[in-house]
Amino acid sequence: MALAGCTLNPPRFPAEETAGLPPQVELTQVPFFPQKQYQCGPAALATVLRNSGAEGAPDELANEVYLPGRKGSLQVELVAAARMRDRMAYEIAKDLPSLLREVAAGSPVLVMQNLGVQPIPIWHYAVVVGYDLDAGTLVLRSGTTERRVMGMRRFMSTWNRAQRWGVVVLEPGQLPAGPQLDRYVAAAAGLEAVGRLEAAGQAYARAREQWPESAWPQLGLANVSYRRGDREAAEAGYLATLALDPRNVVAHNNLAEILSDRGCVAQARVHVEQAAALAKGTALEAAVAATAQHVAGATTADTAVSCQP
Amino acid sequence: MTGLLRTILVQILAIALLNVGSPLVVQAEVIGTLAGLESAQRDTDLARVNRVLATAEARDQLQAYGVDQAQVEARLAGLTDSELSTLADKLESAPAGGDVLAVIGVVFVVLLILEAVGVIDIFKKFP
Repeated sequence: MALAGCTLNPPRFPAEETAGLPPQVELTQVPFFPQKQYQCGPAALATVLRNSGAEGAPDELANEVYLPGRKGSLQVELVAAARMRDRMAYEIAKDLPSLLREVAAGSPVLVMQNLGVQPIPIWHYAVVVGYDLDAGTLVLRSGTTERRVMGMRRFMSTWNRAQRWGVVVLEPGQLPAGPQLDRYVAAAAGLEAVGRLEAAGQAYARAREQWPESAWPQLGLANVSYRRGDREAAEAGYLATLALDPRNVVAHNNLAEILSDRGCVAQARVHVEQAAALAKGTALEAAVAATAQHVAGATTADTAVSCQP
Repeated sequence: MTGLLRTILVQILAIALLNVGSPLVVQAEVIGTLAGLESAQRDTDLARVNRVLATAEARDQLQAYGVDQAQVEARLAGLTDSELSTLADKLESAPAGGDVLAVIGVVFVVLLILEAVGVIDIFKKFP
């Protein structure tokens, strides 16, 4: 027992924080791509992408995420490269138990570390693939080392200096171990924003199952329908969104857009007025004003059109 | 000559008439989920990012930092509006994960000392 005092990195977790976690996990099936010079970004990304069943060799990914002028890769570009393969880079909560929970659930976590100090930062990406609570260590795929064992305390200091950034790469419709509504929907909305509609739709559908009381997954599904050209489904979806959240600006605005396009101008006006009132002073004000103008210029269809929901 | 003039005049008027019904500036479109989320999550009333402008700036930045012309557009395509704006504004300062091989000279010595006393963790083979 005397030796225990010499341990450099004793376990530092109160039992309640790690309760329910298996004491020791290692995802040995996670592939390893030794990095080339400066290219830990492509290598780490290839590791988590391959693990989620997506294609992407480090050389190919380097074309998508490596910035020669910075001799490195930016976080946003890693996220974007995952998106273009219909994968969702879900940012995990910024604490070690959350990270360990993902690993325990089978998801390797791509982390950013600062191996230097604040004035001389040395930014680095690695992938956490295992841990040992009793030994107080983590196992990482890092650089040219396939199995880098790192003390938790040491890892935490490097992770802290990188604002504890970590992502898991999810297949469409997959939930992380610690799902949080705002993070998950934002990641799905990222897929929608760049036109990966199939994957976005699957993620929103999963989110609606998980958080049936939230309006956001419903709104996302309606927007995906709209962008696919299914206006009928979109209209129903916006109405369902408003049933969950009568103050949702986007749903009011987009519903007004659809209604005015099909000649239901009076109904469109009602919704765009509500949207305008709710959007006052927000970033959406100008977009809603454009819709209002569009509605004002629309012509009412003949009476044969049914404008009742 | 008058016949030709008249034809041209008629064509101009016809085009002008066709344009009467169309809005001049407004290009209304549905609002994406992300824009709604970002607006709901931010306390301050930040203006929405102009995608066209942000794309142009981000394109310039990527090229300035050595990205191959052929790859620039594909890289931009995966970014959301606010990410484009991050790239345009913070490419110089945002953390870029690479590795330690670029470190030389005095900085190297300082880092070696910091490593020895356990503050940092770069040179994994250093005892």
